[in-house]
Amino acid sequence: MTEDGRYATQVKIVKQECPDADDGEIVEEFRRYEEEFLIPPEDALRSVVRKFQTAAGMEVTKIAAPAKAEKKVNRFSELDAEDRNVTIEVAVITYTPRIQMIRGEERQVAFGWIEDNPWEGSDNRERWDFKDWGEQGENLAPGSVVRLEGASVNEWNDKRSLNINRTTRVTVLREGGTPVAQVSSEPTDIATASANEGYVNLVARLISAKPDVIVKRDGSGELEVVRGRLGDASGSIGFLSWVPLEHEPGTLLKIDGASIRKFRETPEVNIGDRTMIEVYHDSAFASMDDLSKANKVSISDLRNGMRDIEVTVQVESWIQRSFTSEDGTERVVRSGDVIDPSGRCRLTAWCEVDPEPGDFLHLTGARVQFWQGSPDLVIDEAVQVSNLSDAPWEPIDPEQHWIDVDLTSMLSGGSRRGIRTSGTIVAVRPDSGIVERCPECRRVLRDGACAEHGPQRGEEDLRLRFVIDDGVSNASLLMSKDPSEAFLGVNQESVKEQISKEGRDGFVVSLRQRVLAQRLNIKGRSIVDDQGAMLLADEAEQDQTPSADAANQVMQRWGVVL
Amino acid sequence: MIQEPARRFARQSAVRLFAQEYRDASLTEEGSGEYDPSFVITKIGAKINRALVCGVIDRMERREGDSGPNYSGHVRDPTGSYLFSVASFQPELHPDFEELLARFESGDRFILALVGKARWFETEDGGMFTSLRAEEFTVIDRECYTNWLVETAEATLRRIDAHSTALEADLTPAALEAAGVPRDLVDGLILARGHYGDFDPEGYRVGVLQALSMATGRTSLMEPPQPTATTLEETASQAPESSEPAAEPGDAIELILETVRSRDTGEGVEYNDLVTALVHGGHSRESAEDAIDQARDQGEVMEPRFGFFQLVPE
Repeated sequence: MTEDGRYATQVKIVKQECPDADDGEIVEEFRRYEEEFLIPPEDALRSVVRKFQTAAGMEVTKIAAPAKAEKKVNRFSELDAEDRNVTIEVAVITYTPRIQMIRGEERQVAFGWIEDNPWEGSDNRERWDFKDWGEQGENLAPGSVVRLEGASVNEWNDKRSLNINRTTRVTVLREGGTPVAQVSSEPTDIATASANEGYVNLVARLISAKPDVIVKRDGSGELEVVRGRLGDASGSIGFLSWVPLEHEPGTLLKIDGASIRKFRETPEVNIGDRTMIEVYHDSAFASMDDLSKANKVSISDLRNGMRDIEVTVQVESWIQRSFTSEDGTERVVRSGDVIDPSGRCRLTAWCEVDPEPGDFLHLTGARVQFWQGSPDLVIDEAVQVSNLSDAPWEPIDPEQHWIDVDLTSMLSGGSRRGIRTSGTIVAVRPDSGIVERCPECRRVLRDGACAEHGPQRGEEDLRLRFVIDDGVSNASLLMSKDPSEAFLGVNQESVKEQISKEGRDGFVVSLRQRVLAQRLNIKGRSIVDDQGAMLLADEAEQDQTPSADAANQVMQRWGVVL
Repeated sequence: MIQEPARRFARQSAVRLFAQEYRDASLTEEGSGEYDPSFVITKIGAKINRALVCGVIDRMERREGDSGPNYSGHVRDPTGSYLFSVASFQPELHPDFEELLARFESGDRFILALVGKARWFETEDGGMFTSLRAEEFTVIDRECYTNWLVETAEATLRRIDAHSTALEADLTPAALEAAGVPRDLVDGLILARGHYGDFDPEGYRVGVLQALSMATGRTSLMEPPQPTATTLEETASQAPESSEPAAEPGDAIELILETVRSRDTGEGVEYNDLVTALVHGGHSRESAEDAIDQARDQGEVMEPRFGFFQLVPE
């Protein structure tokens, strides 16, 4: 790998000042500053110029350094490759220190990921690499939000990153987890690695591997990659290798310097050219037979972005429809609701599969996509499906199939359908009642206009918004028209009448009188992300347990005698 | 290894707790980041940023401030009362409060459910008062109130249980979780043990029993708010309210006049300073607040500016 391109910008500036200097020598000098003195090229510029000026017997002049004025931005996209004094607020995602030996002395540098727009949701952020040259690990704990003042942009191979230097001021705006102080070269198990993002060392067995191709987004071509799964006694995890992988499935591998990245909600091991892989020997390590069970999951385990999973389901309903795809071809897609003892989801098949309701299907190599915020099982080929003649469980009645989940477990799990939970209403959102929706996209209109489609003649709809809370955890609770009408016991027209008589505030006050501090039982689905959980109710009803009964249950549970 | 990024902007859950536990708290935690939440930490480790409380309305009043009216009130549950407030910058809550205030002033009493954010103020001698700034409130019926009593009794039992579990474990997150302390209580318990030292939560159990007996229908709900004496004779002597020195209101007004006379340098004497002086003089906080109101209503002192008291000119 050539490093020349890495310092191209700086070399150019040096050449302006010292036209006679040798390119190779300049590069070597920057490399030395970076690797031996841990001074990034931007900061080393002045010293390097001075060195070559002195060498050439030139008078040392002030160089026209790139703009040093403070540049305050909100987004990475506003930065240029030459920006040297950047102020920006970022969320620290990972922080991985490395120890480097410099002339017998141990020095710490660190790298990791930061995201801009830290106060917004993660889908509206850009992620950059950063390098910390200033041992600022104390203030850069993963999970924290910090303001960086005096950071500089680094560009290499068309990829930009941010340098945090010794002179960069780091202000913690919101604390994260524990600062990362120790560099560990110890391998972690897959369960631990999956829970985190960042660099890892693993010892794992190669369960599967097959070549795949990634089409570059800019249309400039394709990349050959290898995808597959790794397993150990603690679990299994998918991997994506950007370099060829010659090992046969079943081989035990020691993998150093891979990174865990999340593809949608699913962690994945990334193997790159900096990752070291060697065959490892450990006769006590979990065998292929043990590990083959590892990618069997149940519906409640499904997360967006999962691949290559094995799952058994009972079919509740099945339909097929055809449509014309973007390229003009006629395509058929089949889908339906499926259940297992742990829950309910949708199954989409891009192949000829025609099960009857009540059939049991065993799926292999399935993947998970999100459909309206809930995980959706997807299969692409008929060979992935086998219709089981032996029922794996007593047939489940779909009508009665609701899985009880308390709010705390709901928040710690993934998005799920078919759940039943309960809690107390602690907030009634003032925008509950009649809303106008965009006829194009169903968004709620604000002042008669849609954020996407401009001014519209809205379609009236009824919806209620609450916060449900059990004292430990909470979630937004959303009731669309049908559950709202059923819950209120009146139809949309009556609500509209009430609002025109009492105003929206009056309606909200009466709603609050009715539900605030009341315990509700909810059936529906949950959408869980970084911000918390949203509960979409299919059905909501007030808990009717008499408080005397509830009190007796509490006394029994806690061994209290009056 | 790298930590999972913290949940961003997660809403704080509304802790269920009785007035006594909240009023006893004197430890607070202010977030270090710009947008971090603040908490009141109780003696048995509840970490409260938001709470859901219910009880009989006990006092309600409007104060005219420079930036508009603000309101305060007391809600009383079986263990004592909570102070709550509606700030001048919450105009959306003012009409509802005014309506309830009118009912209250006409002599009506009712049960209020209130969701509020934890607030506190410190007196000069380091004492601390906890209160709640209302977010939402409404009048509820008896069944809803007793449901809350049961839920809060259970939440309190859960904390008492975690508190005693924690006594036998090292005060580290890992050790407490291993000992079976629920995750949401770990942090608060560590802070509480560090600040309050050893504490016997038996007094809180009394409140739990009182609430549960109300819910099972053994005690009538709207009886005049009293300490727990009638149903729990043995433990009544431990109830904090009954052990408070009972000073005469007359003494209190004398003390108010004296305090204002000696401390007023022309700007008036602050409400909190008056309360503190009265508490030092052996009055309970509530009777102190009552006495100040009484002194003002009777024209003994005047409140020319919100929160500042002066003698009425001769």
